[in-house]
Amino acid sequence: MDFNANHVGFVVASYALSVVFMVGLTLRVLMRDRKLRAEAERLEAQRRKERA
Amino acid sequence: MQYLANPTRFLKLANAVLPTVWVITLLLFAVGLYGALFTAPQDYQQGETVRIMYVHVPAAWLALMVYSVMALASAVAVIFRHPLADVAAKTAAPIGAVFCFLSLATGSLWGKPMWGAWWVWDARLTSMFVLMLLYIGYMAIWAAIDEPHRAAMVARVVALVGFINVPIVKFSVDWWNSLHQPASVFRMGGPTIEKSMLWPLLVMGLAYTFLFLALHLVSIRAEIAARKIRQIHIAEIGDR
Repeated sequence: MDFNANHVGFVVASYALSVVFMVGLTLRVLMRDRKLRAEAERLEAQRRKERA
Repeated sequence: MQYLANPTRFLKLANAVLPTVWVITLLLFAVGLYGALFTAPQDYQQGETVRIMYVHVPAAWLALMVYSVMALASAVAVIFRHPLADVAAKTAAPIGAVFCFLSLATGSLWGKPMWGAWWVWDARLTSMFVLMLLYIGYMAIWAAIDEPHRAAMVARVVALVGFINVPIVKFSVDWWNSLHQPASVFRMGGPTIEKSMLWPLLVMGLAYTFLFLALHLVSIRAEIAARKIRQIHIAEIGDR
């Protein structure tokens, strides 16, 4: 890729935007999954304890 | 399909395949980006700007594919009462919305140097904008209605009615005069795009598809946990 070519800023901006949004989405999805699964496990353990 | 209707079976399968799906996704992105940025040639008219195609086109493909997945899942929910179908449709929407936004944003960044305008109310661009509004509307329904069963009933209608827009987006460049170029990959008679540009585009398309698959499986797993938490809270209220 020639970084001195015309309009190369538009190309860089497109890739940067794509990376930021896709990495952001991935992190958000993974963190939500981790948080909710931990909370579900905690509540289930608590209920088992209460019943025992 | 009925086998996977059971959330426990689904979780077992998802947990088993997810590591492989993540590895394939990363490999596809590595190969696709190398091809897109280093081996694919410049376009004789567009120069380096053509490289925007490798992030713009897969995002547009996925925006359409994810909405189709949502419509299919909604149809399965209506016909077969598959317990995970609504969950699949709901969790696909935010991922599809991001792809749709990226398609519009990178398209705008491509349009400015090539057409001289960030945006035109062209048939393809307008129908893609309508798709973005459908994604937002679909997500707003799930956010606005607390009771999941009621939210699912309304969301299914939006997903199924909104699916009419998918072929309109696809064929808009054939049905109306458009600034946007016609299809050059998925068309009758095969691709018209040069092979050295085609393979990175297809690899990037696969990378985006595998990323969606990985994110969708993780999102479904998270939504199952969210519903379990809700059920536990409801049971606690019942116990009091």
